[in-house]
Amino acid sequence: MWILRNSLPVVLLLAATCQAQQPRALQECFRPDPFGGIVESDRQGAGWLKQVNLKAARGSYASFHLVISKKASADYKLAVRFPLAVDVYREWFHFNTPDKKYYPDALIPVSLPYQFQIPDPDNKIPGQTAQAFWIDLWIPADSQTKTYQGEAIVSTSSGSETLPIALSVIPAVVPKDDAVTLDNNSYGTSWLVNQYPKTLAAFRDSSEESPAGEDRLIGLIHAYHRIFYENRGTFHQLGYGHAGKVGPEFAPELTGTGRQMHIASWDLFDRHYGPLLDGSAFRDTRRGAKPIPFMYLPVNPEWPASFLWWGEPGYDAEFVNVLSEMERHFREKHWTHTKFEVFFNHKKRYKGFPWDGDEVRFERDNNYFRVYHRMLEQAIPLHSPVHFVMRADTSWTAAQQFRELEGVIGFWVVGEGELIWHPDAIPRLKQHGDIIWTYGGTPTVQKVSTEITLNPLRSWINGVDGFVRWQTVEPGSDPWFHLNGGDLTLVYPGERFNIAGPIPSIRLKLQRNCLQDLALLNALSTGDSRKTYAEEVVRRFNHTQITDWSNANAKLPAKPIIDWNNADFADALKPYEARFANLDPGAWLRVREYILDQAEKTQ
Amino acid sequence: MKQVAILLTLALPLCARDKAQLKHDLDQIAKTATVMVDGDTCQRILTPRALQHILQKDPRDEWAAGDNYDVDDHAFITTKKTLMRLAQLVDYPVDVNLWMPIDGAPDRIHIVIRNRYEMSQFWKWGDLTQPMPPLMRSVLEDGKRVTVDQKPQYISVLAPVRNSLNDIVGLVEVVSEISPNPRENVK
Repeated sequence: MWILRNSLPVVLLLAATCQAQQPRALQECFRPDPFGGIVESDRQGAGWLKQVNLKAARGSYASFHLVISKKASADYKLAVRFPLAVDVYREWFHFNTPDKKYYPDALIPVSLPYQFQIPDPDNKIPGQTAQAFWIDLWIPADSQTKTYQGEAIVSTSSGSETLPIALSVIPAVVPKDDAVTLDNNSYGTSWLVNQYPKTLAAFRDSSEESPAGEDRLIGLIHAYHRIFYENRGTFHQLGYGHAGKVGPEFAPELTGTGRQMHIASWDLFDRHYGPLLDGSAFRDTRRGAKPIPFMYLPVNPEWPASFLWWGEPGYDAEFVNVLSEMERHFREKHWTHTKFEVFFNHKKRYKGFPWDGDEVRFERDNNYFRVYHRMLEQAIPLHSPVHFVMRADTSWTAAQQFRELEGVIGFWVVGEGELIWHPDAIPRLKQHGDIIWTYGGTPTVQKVSTEITLNPLRSWINGVDGFVRWQTVEPGSDPWFHLNGGDLTLVYPGERFNIAGPIPSIRLKLQRNCLQDLALLNALSTGDSRKTYAEEVVRRFNHTQITDWSNANAKLPAKPIIDWNNADFADALKPYEARFANLDPGAWLRVREYILDQAEKTQ
Repeated sequence: MKQVAILLTLALPLCARDKAQLKHDLDQIAKTATVMVDGDTCQRILTPRALQHILQKDPRDEWAAGDNYDVDDHAFITTKKTLMRLAQLVDYPVDVNLWMPIDGAPDRIHIVIRNRYEMSQFWKWGDLTQPMPPLMRSVLEDGKRVTVDQKPQYISVLAPVRNSLNDIVGLVEVVSEISPNPRENVK
């Protein structure tokens, strides 16, 4: 997407001659600190720039950090002159509790010209001497192929200083569709009530809800979908708890029991999901209106059928009645571009139900999936244009489930470590038309910035369709002054800054830029060239060979899976994970340089 | 069953959930639960594997007890259905949870079955077992029902569950909220 044209010696020369008072820049992977330095984990290979030279494909963003160091004056004004659209964000420096250091992560959108102070009275950092901004340059797909010139201007009462910006746009266009679906997961909506106390005050103080209050909640949910979509991700929000309680906006309202059970009202469900399923919720985004590709249904052992009737004809009747009505409603609404997932998240350890829906460990629990599949087949017409799919999230018994639930499960979300033990499974499942994602966590802010690109790249290398970060909207009770690593969030609530919606993070932007590059790489990779590209990409990324990314010959415990524990898993994975333990911050920039070079040659 | 019939006549909508009425309703359900819940079946819910691991602390794996938690499907389902029926004696959200002590650990107790609304004044989310609250101990020892309103907005009634030997083998927590939050516990 973008690279610095300067070679490393030139960068170092620029760094040496750079004056501390001038606006300076850093490549996106080198995160600044609030004291005029670079965060420790990103220092390797870092250099300050007094001129930005970027290269990027069309239909993508190019990004960098703009850093202004303190001068005699405390008051500053920032402006940017550039012929393409520019998004400017103030970088918030979080005090990170685990290591007691400051990291920039939350990005607060600002309008230009923007007046600010150093030190920032809002961020309250003792001894702050630098303020940073994340700059996104948006290159529409129909932009002219040329070098665009502009500048960032920082003014004080004693004058102005500039940072020249040059962006070379190549003919290649980043495809709209991603090579790897990066999914951002979440649970319920009660976290929204906690994170938006002003916007959702009515929900905090009372169980009484009005349509206006519901609309505010739904507006927030849509804003979360939009921020992930704009950053080349998808957003999942599970609408039920471990014992089956369904949040009202996640399911149509039911009435009756047994064979009389049916849907009484679609009102709230349609207000929530309608704009997501017809794409209109994304109408004003740069990526354009598009229906969400995936959605959890509220189906669980207690919805729509009451578990009271489990094993009796009434359970089937309630399930089939309601799912049939859902199919009909979705068909009539032309919601045919989304995969509607029948997914079970409960675990028996949470005491709601007698079987594990998530990460099955006991083989006999697979029988429950078969029962639901049978009922689903009964409910959904064979050639329905509406796409219902049984999804299973699996780890312990993944290989066993692949065999036993073949034809039952159509969407697999597999622990990344477990899947790479069974590389043969991927082509076999894909042959059936199954979707395969892997899942895992999110790197903390104290990790090297490049860590956020590892899972997307690994997914592309291993040929899976997507990667789920299992929790991405939980920044903690005080993310601004006591961040707890940030490994459960990629966005932050904007309410503190009078924004009634989420604001992005640097990690989300770095991930987005990686996904842009992967989409372009994937478009280049046709036939045998994919292997060649993959080999060079991993070499540039962390000096590995493609065989290092496979773990088929891992030494697994010589005991039945039911007797394995997490320590056994971790031990078996250690040699593999060690191959990715020492990423340097420039790893993805090297990959990007290669992809853009290849894209230019291909043109 | 006479008690059930009386209760069914009380199953009227409570628009404003009066605290005194709520306590009365929950107490009636709890009283019925003591009659209806089969303690012998409850004792068959946990599998030997789960019992073997439930109190073990694996220094290499903090999740080992949970990963080995398993139940007998038939005993679990039979008991859960009874608890669900009891909750239907009123037409507002009520959960009837089953709690049981653990052999060999007199100071601990664990929730064995939870229900739809995930309400409880005692369960710490995610804990497989937890310290025995004194109020629960008193029910297990004395067999007398206890009404609890220590958590704001919540009311619970604890009542004993007996087996065929007339031993108290567990207790039910019949619980509701004065103003239920439709989004609470959806996580």
